[in-house]
Amino acid sequence: MGGDEDLPKSLESHRKYLLRYALFQLRDPSLAEDAVQDTFIAALAQHDGFQGRSQLRTWLTAILKNKVIDLVRKRGRGLPADAVPLGEEDDSADSSFNAKGRWIDPPADWGLPDAALESNQFWRVYQKCCQRMPERHALVFSMREVMDLSTEEICKKLEISTSNLHVILYRARLSLRSCMTKNWFGADHG
Amino acid sequence: MGRLMYSCEQASKLSSRAMEEPLGRLDRSLLRLHLMVCGGCTNFSRQIEFLRRASHKVPEALEKDED
Repeated sequence: MGGDEDLPKSLESHRKYLLRYALFQLRDPSLAEDAVQDTFIAALAQHDGFQGRSQLRTWLTAILKNKVIDLVRKRGRGLPADAVPLGEEDDSADSSFNAKGRWIDPPADWGLPDAALESNQFWRVYQKCCQRMPERHALVFSMREVMDLSTEEICKKLEISTSNLHVILYRARLSLRSCMTKNWFGADHG
Repeated sequence: MGRLMYSCEQASKLSSRAMEEPLGRLDRSLLRLHLMVCGGCTNFSRQIEFLRRASHKVPEALEKDED
C-alpha cells in the first residue's frame, strides 16, 4: 500500500532512465525532457490505473512511448535535416550496390555476434550508428525494433504507406549493419 | 533465367521485408534460391535478424547504464 503521496518520489527515481529512453528516440534533450514531463503528468493523473498492474517502470515506459510519438507527430511530417519529406521515400538504387544490383562490399560473416550484447562498448557503438542514420530513418527503425510497435501502428501514426515503411526499414538496416561492421564487427575493439 | 535469379539488391530487400510480413510463395522460393548461392546476402539476412535481437535489448542496456 504505497500511499499516493509516495508516487511523485517513486517517479523521480525513474527519471534518469526515462530521459535516456526518450533521448534515444528523440535525440533532442529538451524534447526528451518534455516527453518525460508529460509522462509524469499523465502518470499522476491516472495512477489509479496502475495499482500493481505491472512494474512502475514498465508502466511509465508504456506511457512514455506514446508521449514520444505524440511529440514526433506534433513536429509534423517534415522532420528536420531530411531532404525528402516523410511519405516520399524514393526507391532508387542504393550506394551499397553496383548498377547490376551486386554488393559493392559484400557483407562478411559476423561470427557469433550475440556475445557482444554484454559489452557496454558495443552499445555505445550501436547508439552512435543509430544517430548516423537520417533522423526519420532512425525514428521509424526505433519505433519498430526498440519500441516494438506493429507496422500497422507505425504507418497509421506517421501517415506513411506500408511500402514506404519497408523502404525506410530496409535503408535503416543497410546503414546500421554497415556502420556496425565498420565500427565493431570488422574493427579492432579490443 | 536472368529474371528468375534475384540480384543481391532485390534479395536483401526481400530479406528485410520478410521480417515484417510473410512473403508470397514465389518470392520466398527465389529468395531461398539466392541465399543458397550468395554468402553476402546470407550474412546480411543473419545480421539484420541479430540487429533486431539487439534492438529489443536497448531498454535493458539503457537500464544497465545507470550503474
